[in-house]
Amino acid sequence: MPALAHAFGLAVLAAGLALVPFFGLNDFYLQILFTIGVNYLAAAGLNVLVGYAGQKSLGHAGLFAVGAYTAAIANIEWGLSPWLSLLLACGFGAVFGLVIAMPSVRVSGPSLAMVTIGFGIVVEKIVTEWTDIFKGQAGFYGINAPSIAGVSFTNLHWVWFVGALCIATHLMLRSLLAGRYGRAFLAVQMAEPAAQSVGISVVRAKTLAFVISAVTCALAGAVVAQQNQYFNSDFITFNLSIFLLVVVIFGGSGSLYGPLFGAVILTLLDAWLARWPALQHFTYGALLLFSLYLMPNGIAGAVSGLAARWRPRKAAPSDIPGHSALAATPSAAASGEILVVKDLYKAYGGIVPVRNVSFAITAGKVHALIGPNGAGKTTLLNLLSGHVAPDGGSIRFEGHEIAGWPAHRVATLGIARTFQNLKLFGELSALDNVLLGAHRHIETGFAASLLGLPSSRSAEATARADALALLADLGLGERAHEPAKSLPYGLQRRLEIARALASKPKLLLLDEPAAGLNPQETHELGEVIRRIQQAGVTVLLIEHHMDLVMGISQHVLVLDYGALIAEGRPEAIRRDPKVIAAYLGADDDAALTGDAA
Amino acid sequence: MTAFLQALASGLALGAIYGLIALGFNITYATTKTFNFGQGAFLVPGSLVGVSLLLLAVGKPHFGNLTQAEMTMTAYVLATIASVVVVGAIGIALYYCAIKPFVGAGGLNWVLSTIGFGIIMQNTALAIWGPASIAVPSPLGSEVWRIAGAGIRPQEVLIAVVAVAVMVGLDIVLRKTRFGKALRAVAFNPQAAAIVGINVETIVILAFVISSALAGLAGILIAPITTASVFIGLGIALKAFSAAIVGGLTSPRGCMLGGFLLGVVEALVGLWRAEMREITIFLLIIIVLVVRPSGLMGARSVEKI
Repeated sequence: MPALAHAFGLAVLAAGLALVPFFGLNDFYLQILFTIGVNYLAAAGLNVLVGYAGQKSLGHAGLFAVGAYTAAIANIEWGLSPWLSLLLACGFGAVFGLVIAMPSVRVSGPSLAMVTIGFGIVVEKIVTEWTDIFKGQAGFYGINAPSIAGVSFTNLHWVWFVGALCIATHLMLRSLLAGRYGRAFLAVQMAEPAAQSVGISVVRAKTLAFVISAVTCALAGAVVAQQNQYFNSDFITFNLSIFLLVVVIFGGSGSLYGPLFGAVILTLLDAWLARWPALQHFTYGALLLFSLYLMPNGIAGAVSGLAARWRPRKAAPSDIPGHSALAATPSAAASGEILVVKDLYKAYGGIVPVRNVSFAITAGKVHALIGPNGAGKTTLLNLLSGHVAPDGGSIRFEGHEIAGWPAHRVATLGIARTFQNLKLFGELSALDNVLLGAHRHIETGFAASLLGLPSSRSAEATARADALALLADLGLGERAHEPAKSLPYGLQRRLEIARALASKPKLLLLDEPAAGLNPQETHELGEVIRRIQQAGVTVLLIEHHMDLVMGISQHVLVLDYGALIAEGRPEAIRRDPKVIAAYLGADDDAALTGDAA
Repeated sequence: MTAFLQALASGLALGAIYGLIALGFNITYATTKTFNFGQGAFLVPGSLVGVSLLLLAVGKPHFGNLTQAEMTMTAYVLATIASVVVVGAIGIALYYCAIKPFVGAGGLNWVLSTIGFGIIMQNTALAIWGPASIAVPSPLGSEVWRIAGAGIRPQEVLIAVVAVAVMVGLDIVLRKTRFGKALRAVAFNPQAAAIVGINVETIVILAFVISSALAGLAGILIAPITTASVFIGLGIALKAFSAAIVGGLTSPRGCMLGGFLLGVVEALVGLWRAEMREITIFLLIIIVLVVRPSGLMGARSVEKI
């Protein structure tokens, strides 16, 4: 949403909140407004987890409980002030967010659903059964509400307070999600290996999303306990977990405004239908069953679909000059061995795709890795980039022993890669893909990004300008704002190279960059690789296209059945009998005759 | 020792119920990567439809109580068949309403749509039968059998025998028959299955019919133990889901094993402290999944880079 419309919307909301006392609303309606706010708070954080980081949680009632019980116990048992209790609730929420993240980041799919359901039920049972501490169904009475200047919150104050919390949460999440953190979440959701290859730690990104969702959910729980002044275990049910998820998904997960739609509509519907419980349940069921069929991306998705038809999106050029990563001139001509591999070994059961391979890569050169299908080339590349852990051997990159390092750590040392089966962040624009490539160079702290500080904005603007310059340099400038998946195949391949280059690598690994390209595109690719070399980047590419290999590389490695059978200059490799035998096949007699001659 | 044996027996019976439902999750998950999150609601007509038909047959209102004399083995078998057929048929509706629009779309939409279907079903059942529970006598009577000093309810034995027979039967069907082969082909690659002439949609619908029928069977088997009511489903289905995940959603035998395991652990923990059952079980499940993310017998999926 454009900045002006956003500011206008916020102003209208704030004015509406300020005018609430003049609408003559009774407590019933104030309670509804309060509930909308609380549901929004909980859903806004959960949306970061579900819609951005792509994780599911069917156990957020447990985190709601953490907030509510912290607020209750801190105030009643420990005698802390309501304000302090509220802060403490957020803190405990963060801690329990970490607790649930620890098992959750290790699993995916239905197992993830199970872990989160399990967490929710364990919390539910603990607060129900452990009556010494949590008072079970009897619950806590007389939880104090915060007060300002000695005046305890009335229902009107609560609406204002929650409204302010919602606006603050919205502004912070908006700033966070528009920057590198938001992109990192989406990258993890769309293609984990690619996210790792640009230096994003998948575990840390998911954990952060869990913690964010836990804090807002705990805050919502604490606010409910304080406003209600009473809280018992009946609040915490599996149905609450489902409801929170429904608010996010029905509203439109992955959209900043989805939780708002969800919270407003579902809360109002709930209040309106409360008079007819049977009808309420049927409506709720029908809503779940049919709304997602009609609106797969929730209400926000349907609304933005309409808006896009009405007002097509235009590309915004950058207003500051950028520097293309490809235009960089090497400060000093790199030389020496940048990467040394010794006795590298990897086996999958009886299949050994990489068998005691040793070689060295010289800085500043283009190296090609060739070999028949199934020779183990991609596995070798995966070992170098950290996507697969070796069973033995050593990989030294600029003096660091990186064998067994996770991919995102390897990436931060300056090794970038592309993928044989394209792994672009398909729903994101070409620009965002390149910005993700630059992820580790956009130096913005979490707090700065959350609060939208000037330092974070200028870092983002610089990165954007550089990314646009790089895209223009590679002939993708016109299509910077199109979703990556809508680009033609050849340009998708090129965009992957752009993304890898944006990380300003020292060593670039290309896995079959010419696969599926036509002759013209292959020729252009050769030019691009030459320019990459001129920019001082060492290249190692896997390729079957021999004209390309022989034309641009200075050093060729040949792999067959997991073993390195030859290496050397292209013209020597072309004549090597072992290489010819590996490619064309030679019966033993012929090979022997060849050796004898 | 007798207490232990007794707990073991009821744990195995309950575990057999979990295993039956979990097997249903496996069959649909294999074909569509989805399953019915609202399966709990399918136990409800499972327990109530057959019983109500019996009640109507003896001239009572459909929500009354059956006496022991009216519940003969023949009556129970007929009620079981009725329940299985009706709930199996509801599975077709489930597929068209809640699964088909979302297959292959990824995301969580199918989770919510199946929960929605379940909510509608449960409330329809509430409108028909009301909230009260119906006592269902076991066809084998209520007198406790003494085996090695332990008191075992005859219905528990019946549950275990029927469930194991059905599981063994389905295991053979899945492994030896043309249908089983087609099902596995669809599970492995629907496009390739279609190319070799398998009607993928028919197989998928059959998978949902079987899965639903298994839930219906579980409902009528468990009714003499828990009584039949609109509210019996959720807890049992949640444990069955846990059983499937822990055993390995991709492995039929893993699902059955998971069911028995969960039932026995639940019963044994209950022997120690009843209120610790859920807490212990779900903590255990989380630990198991951290160590083996795809379950005890599930196939590990590796993304090809």
